[in-house]
Amino acid sequence: MKRLVWLWVLALGAGGCATMSPERGHAELGALVHERVAVSTGWERGPPANEAVREQVRALLRDGLSSEEAVRIALVNSPGLQGAYESLGISQAELVEAGLLSNPALGVSVGVPGLGVELSLVQGLFDLFVLPARRGIAQQRFDADVQRTAHEALAVVAQTREAYASVQAAQMLLRYQAQLVAVFEASAELARMQYEAGNIPELDLSILRTAWQEARVGLAREELALVQQRERMNRLLGLWGDNTEWTVGEPLPEPAGAAPEFTRLERLAMRRRLDLDAARKDVALLERSVALARSTRFIGTVDVGVGAEREGGGLRVTGPSLVLELPVFNQRQALIGGLEARQRQAERRLTQLAVDARSEVRQHGAELRTARHLVEHYAKVLLPLRRRVLEQSQLQYNAMVLSPFQLLEARRDEVRTYREYVETLRDYWTAHIALENAVGGRLTDDDTEAAR
Amino acid sequence: MSADTKGWSRRRLLVASGLGVAGGSLLAAAEARARPDTERALPPGRPGQDYTPVVVPNGSKLPWKLVDGVKVFHLVAEEVEHTFAPGLQARCWGYNGRVHGPLIEAVEGDRVRFYVTNRLPAPTTVHWHGLLLPNGMDGVGGLNQRAIAPGETFQYEFTLRQSGTLMYHSHHDEMTQIALGMVGLFIVHPREAPRGPKVDRDFAFMLHEWKLDPGAKRPNPNEMTDFNLLTLNGKAFPGTAPMVVRTGQRVRIRLGNLGPMDHHPIHLHGYQFRITETDGGRVPESAQWRDTTVLVPVGSTRTVEFVADVPGDWAMHCHMTHHVMNQMGHGMPNLIGLKPEGFDEKVRALLPDYMTMGHTGMGEMEEMGMPVPANSIPMVGGQGRYGGITMGGMFTVLKVRDGLTSYNDPGWYENPSSTLSQLAERAALTRDGIDVDANPGVVDDVDA
Repeated sequence: MKRLVWLWVLALGAGGCATMSPERGHAELGALVHERVAVSTGWERGPPANEAVREQVRALLRDGLSSEEAVRIALVNSPGLQGAYESLGISQAELVEAGLLSNPALGVSVGVPGLGVELSLVQGLFDLFVLPARRGIAQQRFDADVQRTAHEALAVVAQTREAYASVQAAQMLLRYQAQLVAVFEASAELARMQYEAGNIPELDLSILRTAWQEARVGLAREELALVQQRERMNRLLGLWGDNTEWTVGEPLPEPAGAAPEFTRLERLAMRRRLDLDAARKDVALLERSVALARSTRFIGTVDVGVGAEREGGGLRVTGPSLVLELPVFNQRQALIGGLEARQRQAERRLTQLAVDARSEVRQHGAELRTARHLVEHYAKVLLPLRRRVLEQSQLQYNAMVLSPFQLLEARRDEVRTYREYVETLRDYWTAHIALENAVGGRLTDDDTEAAR
Repeated sequence: MSADTKGWSRRRLLVASGLGVAGGSLLAAAEARARPDTERALPPGRPGQDYTPVVVPNGSKLPWKLVDGVKVFHLVAEEVEHTFAPGLQARCWGYNGRVHGPLIEAVEGDRVRFYVTNRLPAPTTVHWHGLLLPNGMDGVGGLNQRAIAPGETFQYEFTLRQSGTLMYHSHHDEMTQIALGMVGLFIVHPREAPRGPKVDRDFAFMLHEWKLDPGAKRPNPNEMTDFNLLTLNGKAFPGTAPMVVRTGQRVRIRLGNLGPMDHHPIHLHGYQFRITETDGGRVPESAQWRDTTVLVPVGSTRTVEFVADVPGDWAMHCHMTHHVMNQMGHGMPNLIGLKPEGFDEKVRALLPDYMTMGHTGMGEMEEMGMPVPANSIPMVGGQGRYGGITMGGMFTVLKVRDGLTSYNDPGWYENPSSTLSQLAERAALTRDGIDVDANPGVVDDVDA
């Protein structure tokens, strides 16, 4: 009996440290995210924390929202991301579960004629043998889940940055479209005055009025596009009510610094991407699962028990019991086969993910290079040329060589080029953000360099 | 030149060459006409003695020297930097560094020899426009001669058998070379002083038209209709020099037109003139009309004469209103009658330097002073004694003054106040019963 008790203590000791600690997974996730994008995550739990988060969000929303502020809000306030953080709790529960021994069974039976009482305590010992391995596997799975959730958080960071750039672009495009409308309106207005002075037929007036009204259709579309981009931000940032009144003051920035070095980015992505790492862990833990299943294939369940029986005659009998499963029919071949298939599946998934990641890096890299080239072409060549065309048109107009309509046309063409420039700039930032996300953080492997 | 005169000249030439043997003079004349290069010329006519040299406002003349009794000239066809008016320069094609080519001045009966050197990047020829000469000297590329290749020098030689206002121009790729300025005047004075009054001031003008976009530096020879630069001796007003005349002098104005496409009705203020010459020669007095406007067709010359007996600053210009505009755009919308004040402010949000122009006409252009493209001149504008002159292009001034001692520009004419239109005085309005606020109406012209 004493030995049995000792065995119990051992079993409890093995399983007892596996208690729930919800902060742990999130702290690891926070560290992974911070290391890559230098922004803190926050897991909203309970009413006091809620209030603190709300206050933080309100403060960040005040006086113009920057891209970085938007990311900070998303990481602490995105309902979707908060939901993902909670899944870490579920994952951790599974980890704890994996470290627990199956409960012992207490049996009581009463023999009626002599009123003999038989007590037995039975504990399955198989768990005890495989517990450390199983816990190791569960820990690995948990780590992989943390990485996957951190990867999700990084995706939200990327989506937020992209949405922010889209809002910036939509605002600029709207402003330029309004200018286009004003240019068309000026032409129509001049034609109206001409018509009223009797100088042109109604046809000419109608043509110019039509162009103006068509431009206004474009303006309505741009207004809606801005609303759409703002609502995307609101969803990502988990904003509603008064909190949706935020403003974005800054225009889309021009590319700063030198163009990123692309040669090492694929390798960097392989090293740094959390989803890849999680998939690698999946493969490894399935390997371990297969190994564990193989090593225990001839071990059936072992139930160890102790029984105490008081017979009717007052005789007390106490003695151990052992029930051994004989793995004659089921040697876990099905389990092992399934696990092996899942292992191969995980390997394929890892390969696919790696191929995709490399391809994403190359594609977004190419997009970035082209967009950057075009942005520079617009900024250094096309826009100065358009300005020059307008200046010269004004001079030709002053000399009464060009008509005011032609002068307005030159202005219109300039605005159109500015709109194309904004679209190119937006493409640049979209590619930049997508590339960062594909690489798993910033575009250098210098860890001391702060994120953009 | 009338048939009579021509016959007279012919006779004189034959006498001078010693071919007028007894009898058969008509036959001899016919043979001479068939082989004009065998004719011998008269002794070279001398300026100041045999003729009074013409005056070429803004222009130049071709120098010559005598070699064995022949007047020898040298024309060099080449690219020329030319100033149309202050602020407007262009790369044209001309002769001897000038646009247009220098005026050639000679005398009927002269033997003339021209060396023509081609320094252009293209072949060229010279055609002696209106001159009577041997066919091989007529200068039509391909027809009468091989074109003068770049770098080559050709020789033309003939005897001047007529007098009058004649011209010369390239006759190879005319569309390009004439449009770029390769034209000039060729004045042949009569060997003997003509009957009738002597002319004191003899002006010669070449009319031309160009397309030169503001800001461009070379006339566009491909233009067919929209010419925007109209010139007298290669100058557009306010770049044109005035004609200066002493009161009472007899004035001759020779006009030649080698512009690409347009005829020009040249109108002179203050006088009636007589058209005394066409490029066929002298118009018999009995056929001369009094006129104030002379139409100078493309490829023709016209000469007018009058006595400048009223002092003042008298305008002379082409009467096509768009020919007295400089470099105006031809797609300008009609903005007359617009009131664009509020509109201008709105547009300035898009174009800070915007201002609606032309809603009261083009007159305001003259003093607007807005920045215009480099190398361009305002559509109109030169300052006169009483303000801006709303003219450009083919416009110049005949300045008639009493007691001149020099033909330098005498400045603006000071009109005696009694002969100057001025603001009407209230007393005069009252005296004459004029109510400026009333409409005096009209008298309907109805047949009784």
